[in-house]
Amino acid sequence: MKKFLFIKIMAVTLFLGVFNQSCTDLEEEVFSQVTVDNFFQSDDEFISALGAAYTTLYGMYGTPGVIGIQEISSRHLVVPTRGQDWDDGGHWRRLHQQEWTSEDPATNGAWGVLNGGVSTCNRLIFQFEQLNNPSTTPFLSELRALRAVYYYWLLDIYGNVPIVTAFDVEPSSITQSSRAEVYNFVESELTSALADVTSAKDGSTYGRVNRDVINTVLTKLYLNAEVYTGTAQWAKAAAAANAVIGTGNYALTGNYRDNFVTDNSGSSEFIFAIPYDKVFAGGFVTPAQTLHYGSQATFNLTFQPWNGWSTVEDFYNSYEEGDIRQANNHIVGPQFDTGGNRIEDSGAEPFDIDGPPLTFTPNINELGPNACRQCGARIGKYEFALGATENLDNDFPLFRYADILLMRAEALWRMNAGDAEALDLVNQIRTRAGLGAVSEITADLLLDERGHELFMEGHGRTDEIRFGRFTEARWAKDAQDNCKTLFPLPQSEIDANANFTQNPCY
Amino acid sequence: MKLKVNSLLKGMLMLFFAVAFANFTFAQRTITGTITDGGNGDPLISATVIVPGTGTGTITDFDGNYSLDVPAGTTQLEISYTGYATQTVDIGTSNVLDISLSSGQILEEIVVTGYGTKKAKEVTSAITSVKAEDFNKGAVQDPSQLLQGKVAGLNISRAGGDPNNGFQIRLRGVGTAGANASPLIVIDGVPGGELQSVDPNDIASIDVLKDGSASAIYGTRGAAGVILITTKTGVAGKTTVDYNGQAIFETVDRTVNVLDAAGYRAFGGGNDLGSSTDWFDELTRTGLSHTHSLSLSGGTKGTSYRVSGNYRDIQGAAITTGFQRINGRVNVTQKALNDRLVITGNLSTTTEDKQLGFDQAFRYATIYNPTSPVRDESQTQYDGYAQQVLFDYFNPVAIMEQNSNTETNRTLTSNIRGTYELVDGLKFGMFYSQQKENRSQARYYDKQSFFVGADRNGLAEQIDEEFSDQLFNMTLTYDVDLGGGNSLDLLAGYEYQKFENEGFGAQGGNFLTDAFGANNLGAAQDFANGLGNVFSYKDNNKLIAFFGRANLNVDDTYYVSASVRREGSSKFGRDERWGIFPGISAGIVLTKLADIPAFDNLKLRVGYGETGNPPRDSYLSQQRFGPTGNFFFNGNFVSSFGPISNPNPNLKWERKRDFNIGLDYALMDYRLNGAVEFFSNTTDDLLLNFPVPVPPNLFGSTFINIGEINSTGLEFTLNYDAINNSKMKWTSSLSWTSYLNNELVSLSDSDLGFDFGGSRDISNLGAPGQNDTPLIRIEEGADIGQLWGLVYEGISGDGAWIHADIDGNGTGGEASDRTVIGNGLPKGTLGWNNSFNFGAIDFNFFLRGTFGHDLINTFRAFYEAPNQIGSYNILASSDPALTDSPKFSSFHVEDASYLKLDNATIGYTLDVPEGNGFRNARIYLTVNNLFTITGYSGVDPQERLSDEGEDGANNDFGPLSPGIDRRNTYFSTRAFTVGVNLGF
Repeated sequence: MKKFLFIKIMAVTLFLGVFNQSCTDLEEEVFSQVTVDNFFQSDDEFISALGAAYTTLYGMYGTPGVIGIQEISSRHLVVPTRGQDWDDGGHWRRLHQQEWTSEDPATNGAWGVLNGGVSTCNRLIFQFEQLNNPSTTPFLSELRALRAVYYYWLLDIYGNVPIVTAFDVEPSSITQSSRAEVYNFVESELTSALADVTSAKDGSTYGRVNRDVINTVLTKLYLNAEVYTGTAQWAKAAAAANAVIGTGNYALTGNYRDNFVTDNSGSSEFIFAIPYDKVFAGGFVTPAQTLHYGSQATFNLTFQPWNGWSTVEDFYNSYEEGDIRQANNHIVGPQFDTGGNRIEDSGAEPFDIDGPPLTFTPNINELGPNACRQCGARIGKYEFALGATENLDNDFPLFRYADILLMRAEALWRMNAGDAEALDLVNQIRTRAGLGAVSEITADLLLDERGHELFMEGHGRTDEIRFGRFTEARWAKDAQDNCKTLFPLPQSEIDANANFTQNPCY
Repeated sequence: MKLKVNSLLKGMLMLFFAVAFANFTFAQRTITGTITDGGNGDPLISATVIVPGTGTGTITDFDGNYSLDVPAGTTQLEISYTGYATQTVDIGTSNVLDISLSSGQILEEIVVTGYGTKKAKEVTSAITSVKAEDFNKGAVQDPSQLLQGKVAGLNISRAGGDPNNGFQIRLRGVGTAGANASPLIVIDGVPGGELQSVDPNDIASIDVLKDGSASAIYGTRGAAGVILITTKTGVAGKTTVDYNGQAIFETVDRTVNVLDAAGYRAFGGGNDLGSSTDWFDELTRTGLSHTHSLSLSGGTKGTSYRVSGNYRDIQGAAITTGFQRINGRVNVTQKALNDRLVITGNLSTTTEDKQLGFDQAFRYATIYNPTSPVRDESQTQYDGYAQQVLFDYFNPVAIMEQNSNTETNRTLTSNIRGTYELVDGLKFGMFYSQQKENRSQARYYDKQSFFVGADRNGLAEQIDEEFSDQLFNMTLTYDVDLGGGNSLDLLAGYEYQKFENEGFGAQGGNFLTDAFGANNLGAAQDFANGLGNVFSYKDNNKLIAFFGRANLNVDDTYYVSASVRREGSSKFGRDERWGIFPGISAGIVLTKLADIPAFDNLKLRVGYGETGNPPRDSYLSQQRFGPTGNFFFNGNFVSSFGPISNPNPNLKWERKRDFNIGLDYALMDYRLNGAVEFFSNTTDDLLLNFPVPVPPNLFGSTFINIGEINSTGLEFTLNYDAINNSKMKWTSSLSWTSYLNNELVSLSDSDLGFDFGGSRDISNLGAPGQNDTPLIRIEEGADIGQLWGLVYEGISGDGAWIHADIDGNGTGGEASDRTVIGNGLPKGTLGWNNSFNFGAIDFNFFLRGTFGHDLINTFRAFYEAPNQIGSYNILASSDPALTDSPKFSSFHVEDASYLKLDNATIGYTLDVPEGNGFRNARIYLTVNNLFTITGYSGVDPQERLSDEGEDGANNDFGPLSPGIDRRNTYFSTRAFTVGVNLGF
């Protein structure tokens, strides 16, 4: 009996032994994911990795994103509160009234996009340097230049931001720089990149940083130098603009509209564009933001719009008679479906001018909470293709040749009010817009010209600040202190880092 | 209670008392007799009568009679019955043996503890065992419903009457931040099962391991508690057939009080579209459901079996919703080698077809214009459904009727267990189990549906997933009788479990015709245009454990139990693969030590245990890369890859340490008994997807273990056999839970360099117009469940909101004026059951309540402002003086305490004449949710234990965000059930 028991125990022990081998192994098996063990090995994968620094740009157009705060905080746009729609804690009204806080989505959103771009550039520089592979060396200067472009916007919007150029840094060691220091950093990074970054302008550089993009950002940097540092740099601005013009790579399109149609990729005016795509690169959501719910039938949209972003009435009315850009940039009047029938608005309010038939009126009765649902000229600048998805297929012009011409004109005019080349450049733009030539440039004329030409391209706020008009009283908005020309740093950044000081005003 | 069968217990007792060597002789005699209750003389049905040491046995019939052929030489019979002391009696020479069992011996009940069982008297942890006869009655489709309100400390809730919606289950408050908050489900010894895969009719008992000393044996998965399901098995000796059938009528109980057509017109400001429609009536119906359950069980000396089939055809109270479920189960036990080898096999299969409908329809039924007709034949583009074009506004009837949303689940579970007794008391067991669940979801939005479909010219979606797991374990148990009434039970084991998940899905729109529904995705022109979406995935994970336990019984007076599990998971980081989870508990029977007046039993228990809660997903500890968008490179888009996680080789389980003190008591000859428990739990190393700075990290968040949560509470249960005589019986049981404290101690760790920053506001209210409106504050050092918002003070003369100026800067109603305005977690829960028997009539009712929790009524927060009447119907409670936009504040937070009649049953047992084949027959009528007493004005006052936002998106802090009643809540319902139980 005892022997029998021994055999039984032996059998159990043997059995356990067989299982022992495989049965304490807890290594993970990966099937549908990429880990550090199986990525970053081929040229295709390096390019794929580089792409992450650019895909951040898809967040530039957002709700509100970077472009949105440039436009809605300026005299161009407003997002009224229509009933409960777009109330969202009042931050859209605050954006119009320049009463934003350090915790508002506008403040946090733009910060996140731009610093995300900086951080991705830093990460890739760090990773490519560690990799030390000849295939990736040319990427390093391109990434440094792109990082400086992101810093240009940070300089413009937040001013006193931390400059971070390394990836392996301790967060607690990061310190804040003054606006002038950030200016110097952007200038030196861009000028030093000029030599290393390609001067080519072709399919391979579309949507990427080349020498023309650097010169354009330098033009913007110098043009606003007085705002950023207190010292004007008009001559440098004129020269940088001239460097772009001198390449001969660009020309005004015959038709203003051509820059904004669905298939605008590769327009002769585009210096730096975000290649949005309805399938591959979503984020350009103007029709959703601006159109009325019923407008879905006008464009056979595959989604229902949100009835929000509208043109400020005074801006809509500021176009000169005959300016083709007014009809290009805005949608007003009776709205029809694709069959030519008037669209009925079942939520029409008593004060909608002709009741249920949908009509966009430039007039907006109030900022909120009871702005009428049909009020406000809508954004029509970018073509909404029939059957468009929520994400437009159009490319977004971050920097455009018309802007370069107007910037050179302004720089020359600032130095010499009677400059003939300046007058000629402004008149080139006016002529294409269907307007007569002017014989004299004034500050108001130049700001209006820039506003009408560059509406919804993300320059409104910067331009108004440079012309000293940003904080003035406007419709449904009081005059604000000049310190509102800078946004606050997000509260979370201030809380997280004892070294940081908040901008004045906040 | 006594008139019912507990076949589990019988099965267990058969095993317990069957001894290896039968003493066969060839001559036999037949013993007959009656088994009765010693207290009142009532016959005991299905009491077990066996010859000790053999497999010979039988059970008593409806009149308590038995007849058993016993081998010659038999000297004793052993009689057992649930809730009674097992008796062994000498036969003597008489062939008639009437035996009365003494009642009240609840201490002999069998409690399932995981990898073993104990008698109730030996239990030293907080374990609640609920037997089939005590389950909730009536329209029960999900095993969770059987337990609702029955177990102190176990909170089970489901808002609304959606038959396809699962239940939220929480044990003893909130004990996790980012891991699994629901208890581990163990079905017949297989951990990690789905409750829905077992039919409620097949369950013999449910045991809940509530404290760490009990659940530590389940190691990394024990922290949220463990629910052990034991299915019914066959009993040797007598073949029985049972049929249970039900017809259920389900209607809507509560909706939202919005303006009707006349009220809407009278209020003014809206668009009168000329009709009068009650959208709730249009969206709902009386759901007619039926269920059938047939089981066959029995066995011979060496073999016992139970085979069952269940069918349920459930219609929801909302149109187009419901499910059909068919379930089959076979449990077989075979003994061999002189009964030393016991083989048990289980096979179970479930197929379920669900018609899910669309939850959004409930929101739109509430806000749709009551003057709009349901149909407007001139709107041919919408198939003749009346549709006004507004934001976030869809004809609810059209949503349900035009589109389809279905899911099919197929579950197959099989397992086999072999136990061999090596020498007396030493048993070696092996167990293998396999579970497989296939889930197919299919959705189709019609081309003419204004809701989604028309936008995309028809949209189809299909997702197929398979979840499977395999488990293997070996155990060695040794039960030693130390003599002198002392005994020691030992257990050692090894367990291996591997989970595999994979799935494939596609979505595409733009169809030529609606004819295909969701069945021909290739016909979606979106794929040709690059607009279709496809995904697939596969992942797996493994758990490996070694475990052991020792139970010591000193003279039925002192009990000690200690267990330990060493367990590892592939989900943990490389440096923290293995953890050790100990549990220890002890009990002293005070009534054995001293004569305590009035008390029959008084046992003090103390337990401590450590358990874990693993990350929900695989690979979280690894540095992974994934698509971050598409990069325009040389004229083409290439997929750009970037980091999507940070590595954390130290990622591990959430660790829960808990301490439990319990007191079991019995008085009045055991007629009054129950327990009092105090628990104090601390969970640290909480798993959170924590935001981290980039740089130095590659990605903006890392899964880490951080922080601490505390919860304490008190549980009280009482069972009272109030009346027990031949004419009438009344038993009453009460369970009460007080949640004393549930605090988020910290979410920071200075050693790791992670600082939560004191507080964070989460759970956005949402569109339209109330984005950036957090509803919950998570705050270190404060209670969990804080509702966060402005304090309502009134409405100004010009119709604007007045909100308190909390920060004292002179302006109220700003973000900085938000403060704590309620708490979403309950303070107390109550369950009170009463059963009566008057001869053939039985009556039972069960009251259930939850107290002290607040709910954010989001319907009111959005639709109680008159300025929206142009777009949306508004609540009848809207104040005409208000002209401002809706703005969430304390005005919309309500005390949602409630007490409801959860179920009440009246039954009649027919007098079945002897010899016509019937064993028993009973008919009954049950009503579920007959009434609810509450001050809450929304659809359902039941607690919301977590929030996933309106779109069901994942919320990293889900378990920390209770108390939000979202707009898509299915209406609550009331059900009437007519049922029949037949036994052959």
